[in-house]
Amino acid sequence: MKKNILLVCGTGIATSTVVGEKIKEIAKENNFDVNINQVKVTEAKSHLKDNKVDLLIATTQLPFEVDVPYIKGLPFISGVGEEEVIEEVKNILKD
Amino acid sequence: MQAAIQYVLDLGAQVFLPIIIFIMGLIFKQKPGKAFKSGLLIGIGFVGINLVLNLLVSNLGPAAKAMISNFGISLNIIDVGWPASAAIAYGTKVGAFVIPIVLLVNVVMIFLKLTKTLNVDIWNYWHFAFTGSLVAAVTNSLTWGLVTAALNAAIVLVLADWTAPMVQKFYNIPNISLPHGFSAAYVPIAIPLNAMIDKIPVINDIELDPETIQEKFGVFGEPIFMGLVLGIIVGMLAQYSIPQILNLGVTMAAVMLLFPRVVKILMEGLTPLSESAKKYMREKFQDREFYIGLDSAIAIGHPSAISTALILVPLTIFLAVIIPGNSVLPFGDLATLPFMVVMIIPITKGNIFRSTLIGSIVIGVGLLIATNLAPMITSAAKTTSFEFPEGANIISSICDGGNPLTWLIVKFMNLGVIGVGLIAAAVIGFGYYVYRNKSAAA
Repeated sequence: MKKNILLVCGTGIATSTVVGEKIKEIAKENNFDVNINQVKVTEAKSHLKDNKVDLLIATTQLPFEVDVPYIKGLPFISGVGEEEVIEEVKNILKD
Repeated sequence: MQAAIQYVLDLGAQVFLPIIIFIMGLIFKQKPGKAFKSGLLIGIGFVGINLVLNLLVSNLGPAAKAMISNFGISLNIIDVGWPASAAIAYGTKVGAFVIPIVLLVNVVMIFLKLTKTLNVDIWNYWHFAFTGSLVAAVTNSLTWGLVTAALNAAIVLVLADWTAPMVQKFYNIPNISLPHGFSAAYVPIAIPLNAMIDKIPVINDIELDPETIQEKFGVFGEPIFMGLVLGIIVGMLAQYSIPQILNLGVTMAAVMLLFPRVVKILMEGLTPLSESAKKYMREKFQDREFYIGLDSAIAIGHPSAISTALILVPLTIFLAVIIPGNSVLPFGDLATLPFMVVMIIPITKGNIFRSTLIGSIVIGVGLLIATNLAPMITSAAKTTSFEFPEGANIISSICDGGNPLTWLIVKFMNLGVIGVGLIAAAVIGFGYYVYRNKSAAA
């Protein structure tokens, strides 16, 4: 089944695009069927209200609580702890 | 050789940048196919930005002019926002060479023990290219432009080191610093302002609740609604007919949505190169203790930062109307205000009221700076492949066009070699001092 991934960052463009490219690679290597959306952190709340989200990855702090699977995406940007976070993404997407 | 380089540069940004990105990709050992695709994507991003910029200027421009003749509200400079500023910066000749130059500056400063920051946030090198391209536009010299960009990058590295302990603690991001050309510029201003507020009774006690603010001002965080409302208001002030007003509203909402979308194409093109450069830098300096310099966007989600930026949106429009001497019509960068406050927030310890107060002051001054730099920004934009409609209004941006650091550097560069010497001396002195663990007190 297609998984909806929501990427949240400060601009909806800069850091989330970097993560988006990596998620695309992970999905391609593992045959995951994904649909990626990118939003600004100020738009995230209304997006979550109106759309089904299977995984949320934020490269910035979220100023509110979420009830969907949520991963902190900073390792994708800094490169520190990237392997671990990729495993986390795979675990959530595989079932 | 020189003639060949000149020939390539004269092809226009949407052709020469793909070529340069392709070559740099090969240097960083990417596969030719991948490097070629990256380059082409960047060219496509440029074409897209050109289209949207034209849509903005050709629709908002005449409306702003009508508004002036009707009501004397003289806001005739259009704030094109960061997506256009970034594209202009990368589209100039300075932008073409900024990545290797800034990497070199970073490496040299690390060897000289003047910085601990490894600035892997390649995308945001555009801020340095922006300042450089303003100087290049005035002096008509690529060399001066590149020297300016290098100095700007050096200053921001030192600012990143200086603020790192404070930022790491407040945002809980260990080993990271924020060498961001825009966000970091406000720290030296915010520290004394915050100290002043400390001394004012009553005011120094006020605090606002982030949740209430996000609820009440939340709509200002949705750029498409901001675009719609601003378009309608400007249309009404221009005394357009109702169909014209509604059309301007929807067009401006479209610009707000489309600008970031087309910039995303540029980003996609730049990401592989940025990843290679990041890997190269990290491998080269593996054995030393470093801060990893990232985009300040990573801290923007903090509730205090979001809340302050939301309040500042209507305040910015208000300030633009009342401040004498301002000619900038706020638009594109209303969505960029979080970047202005993100490094002010740790100084006020997350106090929204104080951050708003400091934010209003720097925006007030920033509008005047943006007005002052507008002719330079317009002429820099004209040296890229951007085309403006005949008799178009001049452009600026509240973000980098109103950046006090950019302004200072440009003014210092007017002094020529002396200016370069002064800035370089300041960087070395301050860098040496900060390296020995003297950080921003907060």
